[in-house]
Amino acid sequence: MIAQQILNGIISGAVYALFSLGFTLIFGVNKILNLAHGGIFMAGAFIGFYAAASGLPFWAACLLAMVGAGILANLVDLFAFRRLRTSKHGEFGTMIASIGANMVLISIAQQLSNTQDFRFPFDTIPISFFRVAGLRLSTLQVAIVILVGVLLILLVLYLYKTSFGRQVRAVAGNDRASMLLGVNPDKVYFQTFFISGALAGIAGVLIGLLFNSINFLMGDTYLLRGFVIVILGGLGSIPGAVIAGLCLGVFQSLATSYLPSDLTEVIIYSLLFVGLVFRPNGLFGMDTSAIGAVRR
Amino acid sequence: MPSLVLDRVSKRFGGIDAVSNVSIEIPESCITGLIGPNGAGKTTVVNLITGMHNLTSGQILLGDIDIGRAPAHETARSGVSRTFQNIRLLAEASVLDNVVAGFHRLESSSLISGIFGFATSLRESRTFRERGRELLARFKMERFVDHPAGCLSYGHQRRVEMMRALAMEPKILLLDEPVAGMNDVEAYELGDIFCELALSGIGLLLIEHNIRFVTKLCEHVHVLDAGKIISSGSPAHVMHDPAVVAAYLGTA
Amino acid sequence: MMDFLRDYHPLFDFFLLNVGFAFSQQIVLRAGVFSVATVGFAGLGAYCSAIMVKNYGFGEIPALLCSMALGMVVGFLLSLPLARVRGVYQAIATLAFVQIVVALVRHFEGLTGGALGIDRIPRLIDTWQLLAIVGVVVYIIYAIGKSGVGRAFDTVRQDETVGIALGISIRRYHTLAFVLSGAIGGLFGGMQALTVYVIEPGLYGFNSMVTILTFIVVGGRGSVLGPIIGTAVIVALPEISRPLAEYRQMVLGALIVVMINYLPNGLYDSLILLVRQRRAVRLDKQAKEKVNAVACA
Repeated sequence: MIAQQILNGIISGAVYALFSLGFTLIFGVNKILNLAHGGIFMAGAFIGFYAAASGLPFWAACLLAMVGAGILANLVDLFAFRRLRTSKHGEFGTMIASIGANMVLISIAQQLSNTQDFRFPFDTIPISFFRVAGLRLSTLQVAIVILVGVLLILLVLYLYKTSFGRQVRAVAGNDRASMLLGVNPDKVYFQTFFISGALAGIAGVLIGLLFNSINFLMGDTYLLRGFVIVILGGLGSIPGAVIAGLCLGVFQSLATSYLPSDLTEVIIYSLLFVGLVFRPNGLFGMDTSAIGAVRR
Repeated sequence: MPSLVLDRVSKRFGGIDAVSNVSIEIPESCITGLIGPNGAGKTTVVNLITGMHNLTSGQILLGDIDIGRAPAHETARSGVSRTFQNIRLLAEASVLDNVVAGFHRLESSSLISGIFGFATSLRESRTFRERGRELLARFKMERFVDHPAGCLSYGHQRRVEMMRALAMEPKILLLDEPVAGMNDVEAYELGDIFCELALSGIGLLLIEHNIRFVTKLCEHVHVLDAGKIISSGSPAHVMHDPAVVAAYLGTA
Repeated sequence: MMDFLRDYHPLFDFFLLNVGFAFSQQIVLRAGVFSVATVGFAGLGAYCSAIMVKNYGFGEIPALLCSMALGMVVGFLLSLPLARVRGVYQAIATLAFVQIVVALVRHFEGLTGGALGIDRIPRLIDTWQLLAIVGVVVYIIYAIGKSGVGRAFDTVRQDETVGIALGISIRRYHTLAFVLSGAIGGLFGGMQALTVYVIEPGLYGFNSMVTILTFIVVGGRGSVLGPIIGTAVIVALPEISRPLAEYRQMVLGALIVVMINYLPNGLYDSLILLVRQRRAVRLDKQAKEKVNAVACA
């Protein structure tokens, strides 16, 4: 029983991780806490749904969701963040702007969906179950794990093996210095936003399939989970997002069976609070601005 | 006015001894110079005095009060004022507001009196603004009263920092490269003000690279190199000390 | 006139309560503390007053005093662990606090009515009393702003290192800001409970937090009038035109993005800055003309 829940938790944790990857990437590179990430995740789910509902095969729906969400992320950057890049109060300003962008996305989705819940058509992906070592597994769950794994590998390859990726890492380390060395930060920001959006988009589709529900409010719930994951894993850290995502998925899966749901929330957010106070950099984070004027 | 004494002060950052066994006195009514090559640790000494860094060992005494372990803001409240090497002004606030901020140490009103004794707190605010204007007049900056501090020229910004440091009515004033980037006329104008301050009883520590300036103003000079004092004495003595020449120019 | 007031008093109440929340949010931002805990304080205050009045028959004055005290204590407790945390991390930590309060309220159903909330709370505060209390709070915020405490807040917000060098204890003023925010938030939460008959946990969660931030962003966070104007604009918006009401979230969201990009100081504060700059330019010109007059004489 517990093993089954752990397994389920790993699956949902994998998608949490996928969602959080984009979130943490934007913070690490662009230094923006992008609360519109939830809205983009939700938009991806919507795009995927409309694609599947109009008869396109599953893989096409996924691709469309990724590309669409990626473009949407770039649009949000263009309208909400671009101008604030050179501003003094960047941190506060971009966070507020992202809240505004999120509200716009949610209300558009609300109008489009007429506040209805959507479900993916039954034949979007063939569902069959099989038993492995006494545990029940569905093809969807396998597909999710494979997909997340593949995307993760692609992301790591991109960041560490390509020259674009090197530029991204350079800008994350020090954007001024990178500019002096010839890196065009605008191009880097464009790519990171697109990637974060694409990852969020596919995460939206997968969650929509996994829990059989898509609605205009799904983004906020995941955004709040996302905070927990990226803080505990470390803002800007990819392994941190993955590990913390998986852990949260497993914890949540176990907790919902044994604890009242509100108490689970209290525990999760208390963990977040404690994490922020004692280890704001989380497991692997690199940001040093959390610590204020402290004597050395 | 008390004098400031550093007694065998050391500071270690990880594996680096930024400051080793430094003993300096900053007497009242006196301008003491601290010079040395870049990276010698001069700003670290200032940060140790003001409390921004913890002492690894040694003592810092203001009069007979040990301020070495005190929190930074308490040291400031005790009357130790400083200027910064990189100018730190509140860029969006007006020049007057920047200067008035310096009066915090002298404030008598608290939150309660702020709310319930509004008349008193208003009167105090008005007094501070008047005294601020007096300072501006002394530094010939009256016409910049309402200008945002960030819009001023470099030289003027330095003066605002000076006025703010003086608003605190300090007993000890630590000046970290106060005339860097100024031409001779501006520098010597400021130098005259330093002399006035010393005459009024304040003990000044002057950190500078402009050797002529230091020689003209300081009665006593210490030379810091790689965290250690390598020479102390009158400006004439120190300038001809071979150890100092070697530190600045290297040995052949 | 009285009919007009009678018809619109729910809206006016709503406006006054939100002005209070806006001030609670503003005071921490003014001290450089990036806290969004206001809705948490409000929730605690609201449930405190509601329970005291409805379950135990207390009057409005002890209930509100307790709400305010609860806010102050919780504000103080929050300030302790957050003393070394800054920026977005403070924001996220206080957001976590808000979520914890909401979850706890929902959990202890016996006391709080859970997700359904508490209803049929007697309306013990009327619009005039609300207005009077808002007036008092406005005075207090104004007095604090003009006093040494206000100056210290401003200094600490703009540059902590400068504050320390001038003898300002950052920890003390941050704590003070939290306590003030908690007091105002708790008080107005309590008043909300005693004005609107029904309270439920959704009133004190993420969405409300965002709305309150919007008041500050639109109006301005540096002055006393700023939050009042910001709240007025946002509260009035759905009333002015029906289409705006339907697309309320979209309009608000777009407004936030536009304001923070083009008028980051808010409507009112930007206006003040503009006036001040014009005056500085004019004075400068006058001074230059005087110099020229002397030179050419």
